[in-house]
Amino acid sequence: MDEEPERAKRWEGGYERTWEVLKEDESGSLKATVDDILFQAKRKRYMFEGHGQVRLGMMRHLFVIIDSSRSMEDQDLKPNRLTSTLKLMEFFVEEYFDQNPISQIGIITTKNKRAEKLTDLAGNPKKHIAALKKAVDGTCVGEPSLYNSLNVAMQTLKHMPAHTSKEILVIFSSLTTCDPANIYELIKTLNALKIRVSVIGLSAEVRVCTILTRETGGSYNVILDESHFKELLMLHVKPPPASSSSECSLIRMGFPQHVIASISDQDAKPSFSMSHLDSTSEPGLTLGGYFCPQCRAKYTELPVECKVCGLTLVSAPHLARSFHHLFPLEAFQETPLEEYEGERFCEACQGELKDKSIFTCQACKKVFCVECDLFIHDTLHCCPGCMQTDRTS
Amino acid sequence: MFADDEINILVIVLDVNPIWWGQQAQREPQFTLSTCLDSLMVLANAHLVMSRTNKLAVIANLYQKSHFLYPSKQWKSGDEISTSSDGKYELLSVTNDLFAEEIRNLMDRTEVSGSHTDSLLAVSIAKALCCILNLWFMQIAGQDVKSRILVIKAAEDSTLQYMNFMNVIFAAQKKNILIDACVLDADSGLLQQACDITGGLYLKIPQKIALAQYLLWVFLPDAEQRSQLLLPPPVHVDYRAACFCHRNLIEIGYVCSVCLSIFCNFSPICTTCETAFKMPLPQMAKTKKKKVKTAN
Repeated sequence: MDEEPERAKRWEGGYERTWEVLKEDESGSLKATVDDILFQAKRKRYMFEGHGQVRLGMMRHLFVIIDSSRSMEDQDLKPNRLTSTLKLMEFFVEEYFDQNPISQIGIITTKNKRAEKLTDLAGNPKKHIAALKKAVDGTCVGEPSLYNSLNVAMQTLKHMPAHTSKEILVIFSSLTTCDPANIYELIKTLNALKIRVSVIGLSAEVRVCTILTRETGGSYNVILDESHFKELLMLHVKPPPASSSSECSLIRMGFPQHVIASISDQDAKPSFSMSHLDSTSEPGLTLGGYFCPQCRAKYTELPVECKVCGLTLVSAPHLARSFHHLFPLEAFQETPLEEYEGERFCEACQGELKDKSIFTCQACKKVFCVECDLFIHDTLHCCPGCMQTDRTS
Repeated sequence: MFADDEINILVIVLDVNPIWWGQQAQREPQFTLSTCLDSLMVLANAHLVMSRTNKLAVIANLYQKSHFLYPSKQWKSGDEISTSSDGKYELLSVTNDLFAEEIRNLMDRTEVSGSHTDSLLAVSIAKALCCILNLWFMQIAGQDVKSRILVIKAAEDSTLQYMNFMNVIFAAQKKNILIDACVLDADSGLLQQACDITGGLYLKIPQKIALAQYLLWVFLPDAEQRSQLLLPPPVHVDYRAACFCHRNLIEIGYVCSVCLSIFCNFSPICTTCETAFKMPLPQMAKTKKKKVKTAN
């Protein structure tokens, strides 16, 4: 274990004079400063960290370990930590599957010195969200066990193929952990299996978590308040850079056709969907669905792994959703409004440019207002100006 | 219906590929660009009249460039509202006049060059999204904003901007903006996917002369009212992927784990990102080693 020089703790640094940021203008009003702060907050909404040409881990298997010990009943996050965490987790699961449609998530909870799986690794967001909604009623007792929960996650992750990115995210609120064996041995095993562990702390920095994340290459953050918690969670939605030792391979996938049949069709036969055979509620006979091209088993939703023949079934838009990670959009250059001489109109929304600064795309030299810039980088991922000039996708 | 609580934004994207429209005028002289524009004006007026708070925008798409026909920049700076002589609602007469003037300007200053018979709609839909978001921010708190984009497509599809188009579709889906499509000539797979993913309506018009009727009956009602109407059934969308090497539609393919490109056959090197793949070796059965007894 190499000891990096530890960061200076906050109480060791100098004082921060936060009251000096606010400045009054001649008439004594703070409006200009407040506008400035709002503008900076808008800009901070997307923190553009360009990975450059780094290979990303696109197929991710992520386990989320949620601490359900006694410390989660603390009411510093309203109404209590557990409810707040579960609500943010629902949002996280939706965003995660939006940005990584071919990845999978599993959820583990730990309390009373034991760990148990809430949901298994699956690619369908509905099951996870239903389980999270039910878990709000659960009680928070006892102490968490970091060793046990990491062990449960590891048992499943070690069978995953090498080209996927194996990750664990721990939401840790207690300051203690109760482990049956030496956790440093477990950290060595995790490292050998190339599993990346990140921790979001809700109370304070715990040394064993620092070592855990440092050894496995993950990140460790402690939240300040609820909005900071959300920001930290959202950092884990983007695909991380793939480790150099992960292998690249060609994965065989199927692209089934969606069959919509009606009762009047001669050939339409009602059939069960394979994904609903095990569930106790509504095993309905339906006419249409997705049929696996290899074994003709039926499924109602994609993406799914065929239970009969093991083929991963996806549809082309699922892969297309991840393309913007591979070809990220460059950040636009920010210039103050006074220096700009051309027509004061935003290229995208045709609105007048009223904000403090305007944004220029480096490639096509068109200008955009701050709202359009945010929309383009956050959601659209392609520049309307460049789309008018280049002919290739 | 509380009229002040809801804003309905309709953005019409019109495909004005001059080559297609020119050929169309020779094929069917009854239906030309001017008759199409008349039908569009009827739809635009009807939309504005439905409620006081409805908003409209019209974009014309020429090859791969887009121009805003309404609202236009010149109008904002000038602001002359001509009083109509026949007692028509002023907003409608202003809208129609501006619309006609802008399209006349557009046609005057465009030089028909090349032989592009396809049109790339991604950029117009992207600008429509930005325009909707701009109008969104002008809402008063407490108002519900519903928006949709109606695409009127004339010329053929082009697969050159597949990725941009898909990005635009996912952005619309995320912001809950419906994309409807009214197709005049050839079926468009991209627009079918767009309508399916965002929840809009796709319709290929059997008789072009009746365009106004189809527009008013099918595309004028907004999303809530559509559930109570008997509308054309959804079309079957082909979601199979096209392989990168031959552009064939395939049912089972191989996907590179690094760049997500799709191939129909196994190959040792990915052509897009040039990574070498590990070949799956056949498993060797372990033979039991018999213990060699050392003769003492």
